[in-house]
Parts: sequence; C-alpha cells; structure tokens
Amino acid sequence: MKFSSTLRSLTAASALAAAAGSAFAQDKPDSFDIGVFTFLSGPAAAYGMPGRQGAEVMIEQINAAGGIGGVPVSATFVDEAQGAEGVISEYRRLGEEPTTDFMIAALSSGNCLALAPIADQMKMPTVGWNCDTHQLFAKEDHPFFYRPNGNTIAEFMSYVLYFLDKNPDVKRVAIINPDYSFGHDAAEIVKATLKSLKPGTEVVAELFPKMGSSTYQTEISRLSAARPDVIFSNLWGGDLENFVRQAAPRGLFRQSQAVFALGESSMNNVAMPEGVIVGVLGDGWWRSPDAAKLGATEFATAYQEKYGKDPVFPAMKMANAFVVMKAAYEQAIEANGGAWPSKEQVTAAMEGMSINTLTGSMTFRADNDGIVDQVVGTIGSVEGIEGPVLTDMVRYDGSKVLPPEGEDPMVWIGSLTPEFLAAMPKPGSYK
Amino acid sequence: MLQTLIPLAVDALANAALIFFVAVGLTLVFSVLRILNVAHGSFYSIGAYVAASVGLWIVGAGLPDWLTFPALFLSAAVVAAILGPLLEKTLVSWTYGKSEAVQVLVTFALFLILEDLQRIVFGVQSVYQDTPMAMLGISEIGGIVYLNYQLLLIGFAAALLIALRIFITRSRTGRLLAAVVADREVSEALGIDTKRMFMIAFTLGVFLAALGGALATPTTGVSPGLGADTMVLAFAVAAIGGLGQVEGAAIASVIVAAAKVLAIYFAPSLDAVAPYLVMLAVLLVKPYGLFGSGSTRKI
Repeated sequence: MKFSSTLRSLTAASALAAAAGSAFAQDKPDSFDIGVFTFLSGPAAAYGMPGRQGAEVMIEQINAAGGIGGVPVSATFVDEAQGAEGVISEYRRLGEEPTTDFMIAALSSGNCLALAPIADQMKMPTVGWNCDTHQLFAKEDHPFFYRPNGNTIAEFMSYVLYFLDKNPDVKRVAIINPDYSFGHDAAEIVKATLKSLKPGTEVVAELFPKMGSSTYQTEISRLSAARPDVIFSNLWGGDLENFVRQAAPRGLFRQSQAVFALGESSMNNVAMPEGVIVGVLGDGWWRSPDAAKLGATEFATAYQEKYGKDPVFPAMKMANAFVVMKAAYEQAIEANGGAWPSKEQVTAAMEGMSINTLTGSMTFRADNDGIVDQVVGTIGSVEGIEGPVLTDMVRYDGSKVLPPEGEDPMVWIGSLTPEFLAAMPKPGSYK
Repeated sequence: MLQTLIPLAVDALANAALIFFVAVGLTLVFSVLRILNVAHGSFYSIGAYVAASVGLWIVGAGLPDWLTFPALFLSAAVVAAILGPLLEKTLVSWTYGKSEAVQVLVTFALFLILEDLQRIVFGVQSVYQDTPMAMLGISEIGGIVYLNYQLLLIGFAAALLIALRIFITRSRTGRLLAAVVADREVSEALGIDTKRMFMIAFTLGVFLAALGGALATPTTGVSPGLGADTMVLAFAVAAIGGLGQVEGAAIASVIVAAAKVLAIYFAPSLDAVAPYLVMLAVLLVKPYGLFGSGSTRKI
C-alpha cells in the first residue's frame, strides 16, 4: 500500500509538473485517435456489438458538436474475440502509434486484467468501458486505468437484494454462470450475500458451462431436477440467448424465478418471459427516470435512427465511457490553459472526477473504480412501449453496495446482516 | 433412485445421438482413407449453418412449417454433394500415401479455411432456427420436461446405426468399401475402383457430419467455433471406440455423453474434462480403443 501511494503521488506530481510548464504542452492533433476494444464476433458479439454501435453514435454526436477540444474523434475497433494474446498485441500496436490519444478497453474482465498493467507501462490513459471484475484494482493500483462502472460486488449483490425482497420465502437457489472468472466470482458473491442476508438458504446446483456452449440441454435437466426457487445466472450475449431459447420451451421459467444479471442486453433478441428479473450491471437503463433527465433519450433516438432498435445497456456503458473520456480531455485542456494536454494531464484529470453520465452520476474513487448506482427490475410491458421493459424497478445507491476502498470485498459482505437488506430501497420504489 | 437415473439416461442418450453423427463419419473416413480428418468438425458446422439458413428462409417465405424437417436432411445432402467430391478430389486425395503429419497439417489448414469461409458467408452472429423443435412439443420424463425433438434424435441415431450396418454388409457399395478397408492393394488387384470408393467414403463422412449439424440446429444456436468443439469431442469418441469402428463409435458416443452428463449432475467442475478423462483411462488400458485392433482392419 505504501508503494502504491508513492506511485500515485509520483503520477500526480508528474502530471502537475507537466501542467506547470508550457515546455510540456502538446501539439493539437488533426485527429483524436482512440482504440475501442469490444467483441465483434462469436456469441459474445451479441453483447459487444451494441457497445460498438454505442461508440459510433457517440463519435458522430461528438464530432457533430465540434469534436473534443475542436479535434474530431476517430476510432479503431479491435475484436476481443481473438483472445487475450491478440488483444494485448493490438493494444500495444495501437499504443505505440504516436497518434493514439486514448483507449476505451475492454469488455471482457480477463482482457481488462491483462491490459491494465500495460496501460500503466505505456502511460496510456484507458477507460475500461465494461470490465466488471472486482479483482481489477484489488491487488495493485493502475494509475492509467479507470473504470467508470461499479464492480462485480455491487452488481451481483444488488440482484440478491432484489430477489430476496421479491421472494422472501426463497430457500433453494441454483446458479448457472459461464466457466471463467466472471462466472465463478459472481457465484461466490451470490453465495456470500445469501449467507449474510438470508442464512439457511441452500444452493442446490452450481453449474459453469463453457463460454460459447451451443447447447445447455443437460444443464436445463439438472436445474429442473434441483427444483430451485430461484435460478441466478450471469450468462451473457449469445450464451444467454441460447440458454433462454432452450430453457423456455422446457418450462424452466415456470418452475423457478429466473434472475438474469445481464438480461436487459438480450431481452430484445430473445423472448424472455415476463417476471424474469434482469438488470443492467450499473445504472445504464436508458428509460430510467434519471437517464431521461440526463440526455439518454437523445442518445437513444440517434441510436434507434441509425440501427433501428433500442440501445441496450452495453451501448449505454460505452456511451458513458465516451462521456468520461470527453470530460477528462475538456477538464485537462482547461487546466492546461487551453493547450492540448499530455496523456499524464488527461489521466490526472480523471483522478477523483465526479460527473453526470447519460444515465446517472459517476464518481471515481481513489482506487480508480467508479461509483455508480445499480438499477434492477423485472421484465414486463408498459402500454405505449413496444417490446419488453424493466418494471418494478429499484435503484440502489452505488456507494452503499460497493465495499469500502481497501477492504476485502468478501469480508465486507460477510459482515452484513439481514438489517442491511431491510434498510435498502424496495422493488418498485424507483419510478 | 429411478427418478434420478431416468433423466440421466435420457440426457446421456440425447447427447450421444448428436455426437454419434459426427464421430461415425470421422471413423468411416479414417477406416477407408486412412486419414484423420481434422476438418471434419467444419462439415458439422456448415451443415448446421445451411440447415438453419434454409429453415429461416422457409419460415420467412411463409411456406408450411413441416418443410423445415426435410430441409434438415436436404441441407446435409447438398453440403455433402458439393463439398465431398470437391474437397476429396482437389485436396484430400493429394495427401494419400503422405505421412500422417502432412495429412494432419493439410486437413487442419482446410479446417481453418472453412472456419473463415463460414464467417464470411454466414456472418459472426449466432443463428437460430427452432421450428422443428417447436412443432413437436414436449414430454415429461422422471419429473423433467424434455423436448420431443430430443427423443426423436435418439431414434434417428439408432436408425442411422442400423442403416450403416445394413449398407456396409448388404449393399454392393458397402461391401466394396469393406473390401478396401480390409486390404486396399488386394482390392485394387481385384479391379475395385478404390479412387471412387475413397470419394464415396469421404462424401458419406461429410454427409454424416453435416447431418449431425443440421439435426442439432433446432435445439442449439449456431455460431463460429461450433465446428472446433464438436471435432474435439468426435476425436475422443473415435479414440475410445477404436478408429474405424461403427458400433464402437455408437457405444463410445454413449460413454462420452454419459461422462459429460454425470459430471454436470454430480461434479460440474469436471464437465469439460470428463470425456477426455474417460478417453485417457480407456487408452491406458486399450491403446487401440475399446473395439479397435492393431492388426485386423474391418469396419
């Protein structure tokens, strides 16, 4: 910790030194070049493509309004489906190009874990637009890597709060998550939260199918046989759509209450039954009351005109990453007396930044993790709106569901009691 | 006890059915051509893509839904009729008599080419076409709801096993294939057109893989990478049953599927490795597989 605080001080000092003298001022580029990392192919593209589309809409809007500091934005998109090795080499290749100003990377938690130390090495300001893992800043500081989202602790704990309030008599819970850190971490968080808030709840099945599985028929049989009251899943993209398509005809969602943590991102692609609990891993539901006041509707309209469909939360997360990037540059330019800032100055501008995104407020903590609220709801329909929407919503205060900085998150969850749940807002309270 | 065993058996057989279509094609091609075709999984995924695309077209065109059933078989036949002779004549035949390393490298290159071609032709998003599944409805077995389509697949696999045995033992072409498998040189000396037999066997292998993919589409999503997953599983089946053994492939399919299902039910963390642990155990005891032999060659 002593080393990390020294590192942080050095970063801040170098940023201040850079800001102090005009000798450090950068030439204003002709183009603001960024790398944007997301899944563009394979089953994960069902989640990753809305991210790219959100980026394209934001770039059009930013450029139409004069760019960032008067410089038009130009993006190079990198497909994360090529695997971590390819992603790292693409990041290095782009980062070594002198024209690259900023990175928005990445979708996958695994890729974010791999890229964060490289961002530090290359001193490349980077915003993790999606990566959720709470491991990201747990072991070491990453002064050049920022995440304007909550992490997996806040996200998955919120679902447990919600389904315990909706189903107070729940006794048997089953989990089906993807077989990598995101899935296993979520299972641990759900189990730990249940243990603290509803002791005695039994986890009757824990399944971790391989990511990209084409069939879940045996898993569906296993879940049916376990007779759970609630099935929690953080399957996502094509995997989630596959699972829903295969499970729905077999009556799984009539038997058990389904909770799909990333369900909102797929509910326009696959028919999810009404009553399924879904969320947005943060506050990125573009129809939420807060989002309507903050410009999400305008973004959604532009998105709908361009792509003929609603933006799902990966698109909103990406859009919010652009909001953060733009704000960081504008603040750095202002702090630099109007001159084009260095990468260190941009990074310094993100330290402790607190802004409104398109869907809520976001504040960077000292560990570069963002505090955002968590919106959870139930799939339903509303007159006048075509397609499924989130109903019976709740908005959990991001600072209440994020473990205190520096504290072991699992120890923190273990310290919670049922009173914590009782004090939280209830489903239906966010209107 | 029975309540647990029945779903286990149904799941194992339903899984085994799909694996069998691919594995039996792989083992057939190996027994006749003596080539371990790494590209075999690609024929599965191409069959799946074509069947899903044709099914979507039928539904989109407003044609009767029942047409999606024959479309599954027709799609596999079209894939085999085009790719089988084309690839055997242009690429695979070039590897005959070459070392196993060359054969594996050539078919692996073919696999990579076919995988990229699928991305270009069918795109990178998942494709779904479940009309045949939806038409057949559901049944409850041991307290668990199953798709009737899953049960139908078990019947298809059993019918295929019987049909293949009849084809090999009763039909003229099947007997000629068996002769080529037993002794290629003697077969040529007796006037059998072995080149034609190779082409027939390869095309039949492509058809079986493509049929497996086509029949899988009503209950699975089709996306890039499907071929690789299937191929690895088919190799495990072929190794356990013994390369070149039709009945061996059927029994090994059930063993592999049962291992996978048991893992999902009782030890989910072993789900991915269970088939390969079984393969390892079998090969340690019987290096040529359960039904294979180091000396006698038959099919």
